Amino acid sequence: QEAAKYEKKVMVLDFVVPTPLGNSWGLGGTCVNVGCIPKKLMHQAALLGQALQDSRKYGWQFTEQVKHNWMTMTESVQNHIGSLNWGYRVSLREKNVTYENAYGEFVGPHTVKARNKRGVEKLYTAERFLIATGERPRYLGIPGDKEYCISSDDLFSLPYCPGKTLVVGASYVALECAGLLAGLGLHVTVMVRSILLRGFDQDIANKIGEYMEEHGISFIREFVPIKVEQIEKGTPGRLKVTARSTTGNQIIEGEYNTVLLAIGRDACTRKIGLDKVGVKINEKTGKIPVNDEEQTNVPYIYAVGDILQDKLELTPVAIQAGRLLVQRLYGGATNKCDYVNVPTTVFTPLEYGACGYSEETAVEKFGEENIEVYHSHFWPLEWTVPSRDNNKCYAKIICNIRDNERVIGFHVLGPSAGEITQGFAAAMKCGLTKEQLDSTIGIHPVCAEV
Amino acid sequence: MGWEEKQVRGYPEFVQTAQRYHGRPIFALFCGDKDAAGKSWCPDCVTAEPVVRKELHNMPDESVFIYCLVGDRTYWKDPNNEFRKNLKLTGVPTLLKYGTPQKLVEEECFKAELVRMLFTED
Repeated sequence: QEAAKYEKKVMVLDFVVPTPLGNSWGLGGTCVNVGCIPKKLMHQAALLGQALQDSRKYGWQFTEQVKHNWMTMTESVQNHIGSLNWGYRVSLREKNVTYENAYGEFVGPHTVKARNKRGVEKLYTAERFLIATGERPRYLGIPGDKEYCISSDDLFSLPYCPGKTLVVGASYVALECAGLLAGLGLHVTVMVRSILLRGFDQDIANKIGEYMEEHGISFIREFVPIKVEQIEKGTPGRLKVTARSTTGNQIIEGEYNTVLLAIGRDACTRKIGLDKVGVKINEKTGKIPVNDEEQTNVPYIYAVGDILQDKLELTPVAIQAGRLLVQRLYGGATNKCDYVNVPTTVFTPLEYGACGYSEETAVEKFGEENIEVYHSHFWPLEWTVPSRDNNKCYAKIICNIRDNERVIGFHVLGPSAGEITQGFAAAMKCGLTKEQLDSTIGIHPVCAEV
Repeated sequence: MGWEEKQVRGYPEFVQTAQRYHGRPIFALFCGDKDAAGKSWCPDCVTAEPVVRKELHNMPDESVFIYCLVGDRTYWKDPNNEFRKNLKLTGVPTLLKYGTPQKLVEEECFKAELVRMLFTED
């Protein structure tokens, strides 16, 4: 859309290869269809369930037991997603961007072949190309995985309640899904191969794990599934999972209605003909290395988003990189995308917002003696009345002593962590120091004042 | 078989007609009432109607096109009228594909390309 503003002739090729179970979706990419949007809505559904429980202590009286209807929630979520898909179609059309629901692949210099779902092929040429094909969930490669397991691609439109669920993985996708399913009243177990939330501050990752465990989610640590079999067909059916320990030869078995795989995502770069135009990719990970102007080794081909090597996999980062790229190419601008101090939030039952360095990475980069960590537990006022946990919420900032005690890491664990973190991210971009933070008077009573 | 048109006035008649054709693609154009001379109180509806009519042949076979007059201006301005409350309409003219989130509102209905997209979208 940005390029169209500069009167360039633009075409978008978007195609969703169906999941092993046959699921597909509309225009908008992962975030809109099977990522951030449905995830946050379902996380909200789970939070509302908790709020209903809390409300009794605040004086709301209702005698019925409150139950959750999976189909009602899924229908509302999918409806919203549908309106977003449609909104994008209208938006592209209004800005004169040609859209084809077709699978694009390079067949030669400056040439792409587009195949639609009916198998009809067309060729297109262009001056420049932007690849933003994203990633798809990885499967385990064990017997029964593609036939019986689901991934996040299937979860948010599942036409039946998943029931007793085993989540395999310890990524933020795994923990967020486990958290929201448990929050909706389902029995959830998480099978973890080694550590939780690799790449995130481990001190906080462990607190998140503890909180989830104390709130009814079982964790099976240091095991990996080796086989999934179907005991009974159904919606949901019954599955038997066999797993082996990573530290010995111990084998365990478990029965679940649904197995959700969330062990990582692989870049969609292997089947789009990059070899035909000479674009180099990292053979091992499939990711595309680019320079700081998002250009691949082929000058007329650019890339943004999750497929980039060594860059953060976040929707707003991809959007920003894409917009700035176009402004540089056609608007004469020079701004490059700033990948430093990008704030993120993990929407586990206890939300985690972060910006900047984790404690481990800060110590590694600056040395333990140059780092000062300030931290505190806090008890949200809203949690006092319903007697919810009083020592689980936590905030920590990491400062670089050598640089005026500049805040280089911000971490908060508690309700509305995302909302809190956004403001502090802006402050960090301005070079926030501990002294400035201390001299900012807090808003009371809110969690962020800590 | 092609497509057919049904003209209705008011909310209950609209719902009844839509339900009768359940199972077939249903497209609906909502406009303000017309006076004795056949002119609507809603100027945008006057502009949109011919544009929409010109694209009707793009609707899939078996489609039903419901042309619905919502009421007079006073009724429409009431924030609690049934079209606003139940169908979530925010303005007239509105052209929508019944049972989906796909719709075009006000000036969007003037654009033949968008109307065509609504009628032919999978």
